[in-house]
Amino acid sequence: MGNATECVTLPTELDIKAASPLANQLLALRGRDVLLNASQIERVGAQCLQVLLSAASTWRTDGSSLAISEPSPAFTDAIEIAGLELSNFTSRNH
Amino acid sequence: MDTMAAIKQTFFQECEEQLAELEDGLLTIEREEGDLETINAVFRAVHSIKGGAGAFGLDDLVRFAHTFETTLDGMRSGKIEISPQIVRLMLRSADILADLVRVSRDGGSVDEVRVAQMTDELNKACGISAGPAEPVSAEPAPAPAAGDPDEFGFVVTPVSFDFADETPAEPQTDEFGFAPVAIDFDAILAEDAERIEGFEIRFRPKPELYAKANDALRLLRELGRMGEMSVTCDHSDLPLIDAIDPEGAYFSWTIQIRTECPEAEIREIFEFVELDCDLEIRPMLAGLITAADDADQVVQEVLAQVEAAVDPVAEAPVQPVPDLAPAPVSLTRAQPAEEVPAAAPVMQAPTNAPAAASTPAPSATIRVDLDRVDRLIDLVGELVINQSMLAQRVMEAGIARLSDVAVGLDDLEHLTREIQDSVMAIRAQPVRPIFQRMSRVVREVADMTGKSVRLITEGENCEVDKTVIERLADPLTHMIRNAIDHGIEKPEERLAKGKPEQGVVRMVAAHRSGRVVIEVSDDGSGINRARVREIAVRKNIIAEDAQLTDAEIDDLIFAPGFSTASTVSDVSGRGVGMDVVRRSIQALGGRITISSRPGQGTTFTLSLPLTLAVLDGMVVTVADQTLVVPLSTIVETLQPKESDVHSLGEKSRVIAIRGSFTPLIDVGAVLGYRETEADPMQSVAVMVETENQSQCALMVDGIIGQQQVVIKSLETNYGHVFGVAAATILGDGRVAVILDVDSIVAGSRTETARIDTNRKRSAA
Repeated sequence: MGNATECVTLPTELDIKAASPLANQLLALRGRDVLLNASQIERVGAQCLQVLLSAASTWRTDGSSLAISEPSPAFTDAIEIAGLELSNFTSRNH
Repeated sequence: MDTMAAIKQTFFQECEEQLAELEDGLLTIEREEGDLETINAVFRAVHSIKGGAGAFGLDDLVRFAHTFETTLDGMRSGKIEISPQIVRLMLRSADILADLVRVSRDGGSVDEVRVAQMTDELNKACGISAGPAEPVSAEPAPAPAAGDPDEFGFVVTPVSFDFADETPAEPQTDEFGFAPVAIDFDAILAEDAERIEGFEIRFRPKPELYAKANDALRLLRELGRMGEMSVTCDHSDLPLIDAIDPEGAYFSWTIQIRTECPEAEIREIFEFVELDCDLEIRPMLAGLITAADDADQVVQEVLAQVEAAVDPVAEAPVQPVPDLAPAPVSLTRAQPAEEVPAAAPVMQAPTNAPAAASTPAPSATIRVDLDRVDRLIDLVGELVINQSMLAQRVMEAGIARLSDVAVGLDDLEHLTREIQDSVMAIRAQPVRPIFQRMSRVVREVADMTGKSVRLITEGENCEVDKTVIERLADPLTHMIRNAIDHGIEKPEERLAKGKPEQGVVRMVAAHRSGRVVIEVSDDGSGINRARVREIAVRKNIIAEDAQLTDAEIDDLIFAPGFSTASTVSDVSGRGVGMDVVRRSIQALGGRITISSRPGQGTTFTLSLPLTLAVLDGMVVTVADQTLVVPLSTIVETLQPKESDVHSLGEKSRVIAIRGSFTPLIDVGAVLGYRETEADPMQSVAVMVETENQSQCALMVDGIIGQQQVVIKSLETNYGHVFGVAAATILGDGRVAVILDVDSIVAGSRTETARIDTNRKRSAA
């Protein structure tokens, strides 16, 4: 590890159609430290949350770090409504 | 917007399937072959239609589907007894539902009176047979009489509980020495009105929920509008990113919501996803955190009270094992205590549980746009042409028959054939849906005419090209209408004739030598030949003195402008006669024949090509042009003898074949390929049968052979050409036109004097 942190801006629409591309995108970044910029998100569905959450636990297992920056109101709202917290989506580098 | 339209289109496609399933199920029930699963399937079909309709805001459809569904639910739960009347009502409701779907899709209007009437009937069916209203509230029902198992199957032992505040009278011990224990439930359950403070909802979406464009978060958000809510997300099933199905469903939620809304409103939120998720809704009691806890707590409190009560009782004169006292009490009461809060969910469970349990396995089919299939068929057509061109080139190049190239080419030919067959099979569909549609026609027409008719279908799995199927609906409908309206007698008449009261219309489909044959027969009175003849004479269809065989008289009903009903009835008199039926069948490359036996009924036989994409044809030459004559029209071919050919008037000629005269038509002249008439002795006569079943001899220069050709429509690519049905490309790469035999025969007649034979009628 220890590579430079990879910054990714999440798209505006994270609906069901976005789930597969998102998963592939994240999978490709596995092993690196990642910072996901969530400022652009306007809509997010449960399945993308699943993918993001799965990524966080994957990163945790791998010991890499993953964090979400500048969460948009839409994103925070979705997390809250789903009964989750931003910390669920974060993996700290050990 | 496009996506929305696409989704809507998918919805309507699904509706078609659901409607077919609905009708199928109802017919199975009607035949008394159905079981609970059939009713469930029927219910699910209506439910899905309602769900989709709701999503698109098709209110009329939702309303009717809802009423329909309620009645079906009654059938399912056994509240409504399944009787032939009810099933008929259901079938008619299914028809209305189909109408509403159609109107929602294509526009237009439905017969609102009929919808309203049917809604009433459905409501009545629910109301009358449903019996006294079930207590749906969660209030504790009054204790049933001793020993009667209640709806949950519990036998309630009467135990005296004191729900009111009054102080119990001096404890009395009964003959067994048990003293009733007074328990104050008010203290435990608080006031009724305040008792349910909210709900605990367990919600686990299935992947289908997402696949149907629903989002769990939206549902949660809607739920949040009903009151203060706390959501716990269980994501323990969530795999790591490399194993995740991004479109899978891994989250499940436990939601506790404090609300005064009734449970029904909560359910409404989940109404359209009900079948695509596991849903559990339990009321929460005031002051208690979870429903699971409160049952325990209630029991605890009851026990505490019982124990407190037992102490003084222990001093009572008879004291047979005081420890026993709490046992029966806590047992009998503990059950209702747990059941009461759960009562409401249990009531509604039927909508959920059985349906969820029997969710059909994902079907191994895909939906493909018809255009794509057509394109594939086109391409395969090209491939076939290309392959035969290649074969011809190889032959022309003088390559030996057994050379590797030729052998490889043979293999290629096999493969191409196989591909062609498989591709055709994609378009092929069973005739079942169209047969099902006919059962509706039978019902309606029987209702209208006051006759009792049963439709028997056979061979529904017979597969035909989709286009053929689509274009069969109208002719079949008309034939069925005719069969019931004109063929089958009124019940009294049938009884008088010693026939069963109920008439039978039979539809049979079968494959016969590369064609599909559909027979529509009735067991009615058969064709009234004297009357048919009389009408035909009156309408100038035949000459008064014409000598006709029985078969020819029967055939008259196909003559244009013929209608036997003395009054134009509502049923078959819709301006189309059997001539239209014959024409539409012929347009499909098919033929229709009739046979009738007086007093025993009439049979129409349709013979149709399996596909409209290829055609078996006879390749002929006329004035150096290559033409294809559809094989289905050809009766025989012969070499005219000089003695058989007779001139008739200036231009026309007839040929004598086995004692009867047949018009001889020079195709080359009719199509304008040559000015002068060909010499019949140098020609070949191809006997063809036309529209009116009359025979004509087409004169062509020579016959090249018989071949399967790929049909290329001229109409779509160019325009209509007289005498030509379509075109094709032959193996040598040349374009050949496929003859429209009927129009050639008709065209020749405009200039030819009428042939004065006993076939005069056919010239009409």
